Amino acid sequence: MKAPFSDYLTGVKSGLKEMIAILRKEYDYVSVLATDSCGLATRISQRSRSVSGETMTTERGIVVRVCNNGQYAEYAFNKFDPTAPEKAAMEIQGALEAQLIMLRLAGVKSYDTPLLPDEEQTLFVEKETQQLPETADVEALVKKLGAISDKAMSLSEHAIECIVSAQSTHICKMFLTENRDLCQSYVYSEGAIFFVVNREGNSQVAYENVSGLCGPELFDGLEGKLDKVVTTAAELLDAERIEPGEYEIIASPEVTGLIAHEAFGHGVEMDMFVKNRALGKDYIGKRVGSDKCTMHEGALCAENVTSYAFDDEGTLAGDVTEIDHGILKTGICDALSALRLGVQPTGNGKRENFEHKVYTRMTNTMFDSGEDSLEDMISSISYGYLLEGMESGMEDPKHWGIQCIIKMGREIKDGRFTGKVVAPIIMTGYVPDLLGGISMLSPHREVFGSGGCGKGCKEWVKVADGGPYLKTKARLG
Amino acid sequence: MLDTIIKYLKSSGVYGWEVNDVKTNGWEFYFIRHELDQHRAKNVEHINVKVYQQSEDGGSIGFAIAEIAPTASERDIEKLVSGLAYRATLVENRPFTLTPPVEGNTSEGKASDIADISADFIRTMSELPETEGEDINSYEIFTSDVSHRLITSTGIDYTEHYPSSMIEVIVNARHGEHEIELYRSYYSGTCDASGLKRDLVRTMNYGRDRLIAKPTPVNGKINVLFSGENACQIYNYFSERMNAALVYRQMSDYEIGKPICEEFTGDRVTVKALRELANSSENHAFDAEGAVIRDVVMIEDGVAKQFLGGRMFSFYLGLENSFNPNNIEVTGGTRTEEELRVGRYLEAVEFSDFQVDEITGDIFGEIRLAYLHDGDQTTPVTGGSISGSMNDFVGSMLMSKNSAQYNSMKIPALTLFRNVTVTGAEN
Repeated sequence: MKAPFSDYLTGVKSGLKEMIAILRKEYDYVSVLATDSCGLATRISQRSRSVSGETMTTERGIVVRVCNNGQYAEYAFNKFDPTAPEKAAMEIQGALEAQLIMLRLAGVKSYDTPLLPDEEQTLFVEKETQQLPETADVEALVKKLGAISDKAMSLSEHAIECIVSAQSTHICKMFLTENRDLCQSYVYSEGAIFFVVNREGNSQVAYENVSGLCGPELFDGLEGKLDKVVTTAAELLDAERIEPGEYEIIASPEVTGLIAHEAFGHGVEMDMFVKNRALGKDYIGKRVGSDKCTMHEGALCAENVTSYAFDDEGTLAGDVTEIDHGILKTGICDALSALRLGVQPTGNGKRENFEHKVYTRMTNTMFDSGEDSLEDMISSISYGYLLEGMESGMEDPKHWGIQCIIKMGREIKDGRFTGKVVAPIIMTGYVPDLLGGISMLSPHREVFGSGGCGKGCKEWVKVADGGPYLKTKARLG
Repeated sequence: MLDTIIKYLKSSGVYGWEVNDVKTNGWEFYFIRHELDQHRAKNVEHINVKVYQQSEDGGSIGFAIAEIAPTASERDIEKLVSGLAYRATLVENRPFTLTPPVEGNTSEGKASDIADISADFIRTMSELPETEGEDINSYEIFTSDVSHRLITSTGIDYTEHYPSSMIEVIVNARHGEHEIELYRSYYSGTCDASGLKRDLVRTMNYGRDRLIAKPTPVNGKINVLFSGENACQIYNYFSERMNAALVYRQMSDYEIGKPICEEFTGDRVTVKALRELANSSENHAFDAEGAVIRDVVMIEDGVAKQFLGGRMFSFYLGLENSFNPNNIEVTGGTRTEEELRVGRYLEAVEFSDFQVDEITGDIFGEIRLAYLHDGDQTTPVTGGSISGSMNDFVGSMLMSKNSAQYNSMKIPALTLFRNVTVTGAEN
C-alpha cells in the first residue's frame, strides 16, 4: 500500500499558500515547511511496559523562512489557522521585526547571503509500506515483544532484564513557496533488543537492532536477533580488557558504518566549510584514503530510515560520491551553505523538527563494498581484532581526530580466532591514517538506521550508515 | 483546548491521567564570527497526555502517552483520548498509585524578557578578549520563556514560568597555517556574563596549548585529574545509580544504608538533589508527574541514603515523597588543589566525548587536550584515550574541597582517579 499523505497538511495547504503570498509583499523570499508525522513506540521489559504515540520524529508544525536584503530569518509555530492567513503573516512579521529592533540596538552586522532560487516544481510522493503505525495492531505487537523478552530471560541464568522496543513513524512533510509545491509521505521503523546480564557484580548490556524504510511489519524480524544478543551478552561477561596499542582490525559492517559516519560524514558537512570548521575544505581532489576506499552519501544511497524524496529545504534527494578510490571528491550541502560556497545543494538540509534550524546533515553514509572474502580477511591478520557492535562516536573535522566506542573485539592470531573476547573498546586515531590503512573490503554490505546523530551536542536527527567488512589498522584502548 | 481535552479525559472512565502543557516563546541567533547568519523566533505549544488504566481486578496498571496538537479538532481529541484509553489496557504493569496533590503554591515564576536576555548574550560575546591567535569562530544563542502547566486526575494543577538559555560556542586557536577548534555549550536560566567570559578565556588558553601539544606518550596506568565539566559525567554516574528505575530493574546494586563500594581508601562522595541551584536551567518546583521537588541527601559519605525517581518505580520501591531530581550537588572532597596536584599525573581538560556508563561502569574518552605533570614539568599532550571502570575508581578517588558549577550540577572542582589506563598517541 501507499503511505497516505496527511489530511491535516492537505487541509492547511491553501491557507499556507495565501500566507506566502501576503509575506512575499514584504520579503524577497518566503518558503514554508509544514509537517505532520505520527508514530507508535512500544517498549516492553520484564519490569515495565509502555505504549506511546511519540517517537524521535513525530511532530506537527510549521516553519516559515524569509529573506530580506541578504538576511535570512525563520519563524516556527504550531497554531496555524488556515482561515486566517493574514493573522499568521502579521504574527510572523511582528516577531521577526522585534528581533531586528534588538539587533539594530546591539549594533549587530549581518552575514550577507544570496537569494535562494525559486523555480517552479511540483512533486507528490507516497512511498510503499505494508502497515502504518497509526493503524497497527498494538495488542499483537505488545504480545510479540513480550514473548521475545520472556524468551531471552529463559536463555541465560545471568539475565536480569530484557527490554524490547519497537518504533514506527509515518513522516508527512510539505514544502511550499510561491512556485514550488512538494509533498511526501513515507514510513520508517526501528526495533531493538537490550539484554542486561549480571554475574557477581559484573553488569553487561548486549543489544541487536533492526531498521528499515517500512512499517511495523519490520518487527517480525526482531525475534531472529534473539540468539545473537543472548550469545553476545554471555561473551561480554567473560570479556577481558584489551592491551592498549595499534592493531590490525576488521570492522564489522556496523563498525564500518560508524567509521563512515564519523570520518567523512561529519567531516564533509559543508555548512562547516562556510565557517572554516572542517579540514575537508582544503582536501577536495586530494588523497584521504587508500585506493580501496570509496564512500557515498545521500538519501538515494540506500533504503532506510532517512530515505526521503526531498529534504527540509525542498531540495530533491541525492547520491553523492564523497570519496572515489581514496580521493576526496566533494561534500554534502544544505541550500544556504551551497549559495555561500557557490555549489549545488545535495539534498542534505535537515532539521531536528520544525522548531529547529536547518543544518547540513547526513542521510545514508556508506562505504562501497569490495571483493575480499571475510575468511581471507581473517586469515591475513597476524595479530588483531574483529570489531563488533557500535556504541557511539565523535568526530573532530577540524583536526581529523576520531573516537569510536565499540562493544567488543574478537582476538585473531596468525589468521585464526583465538576465542578471546575483549570489551569494551575505544578506537581513536587520525582519519586519513585509518582510511589510508584500508586494504581489504568484503562484498557483503549492510545498512544500520537505529539511533540518532547530533551536531555538536544537539540537533538530533535520524541517519543510517554502513558498508562491508573492512580491514585496516587502528589504535585501540 | 485544555478544557476540551480534560472534558474527554474525565468522561472516558480511565483510572487516571496527566496533562503537561508547555508553551515556549523562543529567540535564536546564529553568528559566524560576529556577523549574524540567521535569526529565528518560535511560538509553540506542546500538550502531552498520559492515560492510566487499571485492570478489572486491580492487579495491574497500564499507561499510554501521546501529544495532542494544539490544532487538533474536538473530534480528533475525542478519538485520541479513546485510543489512549484502549492502548493503556494493553500494557500491564504492577499496580501503583498516582502522585497526589500537595497543599501550597500552585504557581511560581513570572514571564522572562527574552529580548533582554538575548541582548546580554550578544553583548557578552562582543566583549571577549580575542587575539590574533585565539578567537571565536561561531556561536549560537538560544533563549526561551517557558510556561509549564501540569493538570492531573488526582487534583494537581501547578503552573510555573521560567527562563531557559543555551549558548554554543566554537573557539579557534591558530599558529601559522595550523588551526584547531574547541567546542563549548553552556546551559543556564539567563545569561551568566561573568561565568561565560571566564570559561571562554580559559578555553582560548586551552586552544593555545593544544596547538603546541605533543602526542600523548603514556601507554599504561597513570593518575588522571579531571578539572572541567567532563567530571559531571563521573558524578552523574552516582545519581543515576540512585535512580529508582535503575534500582528496581536491578541494573544498580546500590542498597540503602550500605556503602557504594566495598572499601574506601580515598574520599567518600555525598550527593544531594537540590530544588534550586543559582541560575540553573533546571530550577523547577515539580517534576513531570507533579511530585514536589525538594532538597534530599541521596548518598552521604559514600553510603546510599535515599533513592529518587519517577512515580511508578518509586512506588514499587516503597519510596515516600520521591521525585525526579533536576539539580545535583556533590561534596565530600577533603583535599586542597595543592594536595591533589602532586607527583606524575595527567590532567585531562578536553575530550572528544567523555562517557561514563551507569550500568556497566565503563568510562571512555579520546583526549583532545591534557597536561602531563611530572614534578615541576608540565607538557600539553593530545590524542590517545583513557578507559577503565568506575568499579576500580569509586573507592580510591580523591576530590577537592572547593567546587565548580556546570548549570544543574555543582561538583568538586578537581577529581583524581588513580591508575587509569591510558592509550597513548605516539607512533
